[in-house]
Amino acid sequence: MNSNENSHDPLVERALVSFDLAAEHHLAGCPPCQTARDRVEGALRQFAAANREYANRPESFWQQQALCIEAARRKSEMRSRLTATLVPAVVALLLTAFAILGRAPGVRPMATVTPTAQVDPDHELLLEVERAIQSDTPRALEPATLMVDERDTNLPLGSTSNRKEIRSHEN
Amino acid sequence: METALTSALGAAAQNITAEEFDAIVRRHQRRVHRFLLMLLRDPEEADNLTQECFLRAYQSRSSFRGESSLETWLLRIAANLAKDHGRNRKTSFWKRLLGLDGDGEEGAAQKVASGTASPEEVLLAREDVRAVWEVANQLSQQQRAVFLLRFVEEMELNEIASALGLQVGSVKTHLFRAVQNVRTKLRDLG
Repeated sequence: MNSNENSHDPLVERALVSFDLAAEHHLAGCPPCQTARDRVEGALRQFAAANREYANRPESFWQQQALCIEAARRKSEMRSRLTATLVPAVVALLLTAFAILGRAPGVRPMATVTPTAQVDPDHELLLEVERAIQSDTPRALEPATLMVDERDTNLPLGSTSNRKEIRSHEN
Repeated sequence: METALTSALGAAAQNITAEEFDAIVRRHQRRVHRFLLMLLRDPEEADNLTQECFLRAYQSRSSFRGESSLETWLLRIAANLAKDHGRNRKTSFWKRLLGLDGDGEEGAAQKVASGTASPEEVLLAREDVRAVWEVANQLSQQQRAVFLLRFVEEMELNEIASALGLQVGSVKTHLFRAVQNVRTKLRDLG
C-alpha cells in the first residue's frame, strides 16, 4: 500500500498544483490518492481561510491607510512639481551666469599695465654730463651765469671793468 | 477583475487622474496588504510596504503597459518591495531577537473558523494550518510568494509567473515541491 501510494505521489501533487487530465483520471480510480488529495486540499483551504481572516482589518484601518497613501501621493506630486519648476529655473540661472562670466573678459578693458621706466642712474649721469658739455657751463654754475648774463644786458656798453671783476670772482 | 477603469489604464496609464488612482488604492489595498502580511509576517512592515507599493505604482504608472492586469502589476511591485525588504536583515534580526517576529503562524492558526465544527475538529484544523505554515516558512521567499499567491490568493499560474517575473514552468516546479512538503508534513501529523 505504502509503495503503491509513493508511486502515485506525483499525480496527487500534479492534481493539486494545476488541472492535470492524466492526474485527474488516475485519482478518479484510486481512493488512497483521492484521500491524500482531499487531506492536503482541506489543509490548504483551511490555511487560506485562516490567513484571510488573520489579514482582515476593520474598515477604519483601510480608510486610514488609503488616506496615508493619498497624503504620500500628494507630497510626492508636489515634490516632483517643485522639481519640474526648479530644475529648469536653476539651469537657466546657471546658463545666464556662465554666459555673463564667459563674456566678461571681452567687455572688460584690458588692464593697462604702465611700464615703470627703469631709471638707470649711470645713464642719467651721462646725460647730465652731456647736457653740461653742450651748454659750456657746469650745471652748478648755471645760476651765476644767468645772473651775469642779466647784469651784462643791464650795464652800459663801456663798463668792462666791472665785467672783469665779476669774472675774477668767478674764477 | 478588470474594470472600465483598469482596462483604460492599459492605454493611458500616465493620464490617470489622482481621483482615479485613489479609487484603485481602495479597490486593491486589501489584497496587496494581505499578500505582504503573509510574505513578511510583520503587520507593521506590511502596512508600510503597502503604502510604499501604491506610491511606487503612482510614480511609475507610465510604465504600466497593460500586458498584465493591474492587480498583477501591483502584486509584482509588492513582491519586489518584499524582496528588497528581505535583503535588509538588520530589522528582522532585532525583531526575531525580541520575539516580535513569527506572529503570523500562530495568529493565522488562531483564526481557524470554528463554525459548527467540534472543538476537536477545530484543534485538528489549527494543527493543519500550523503545519502548512511551517512548510511555508521553510521555503525561500520566492517559493513562499508562489505558494501564497496560488493557494491563498487563488491566482492562475500565468498570473503568478507574471507577478513574480518567472516562467510558468518554474511556478509549477515551486508549487509541486511545496505541495509535496505539505503532504509529507501532514502525513507525519497522522
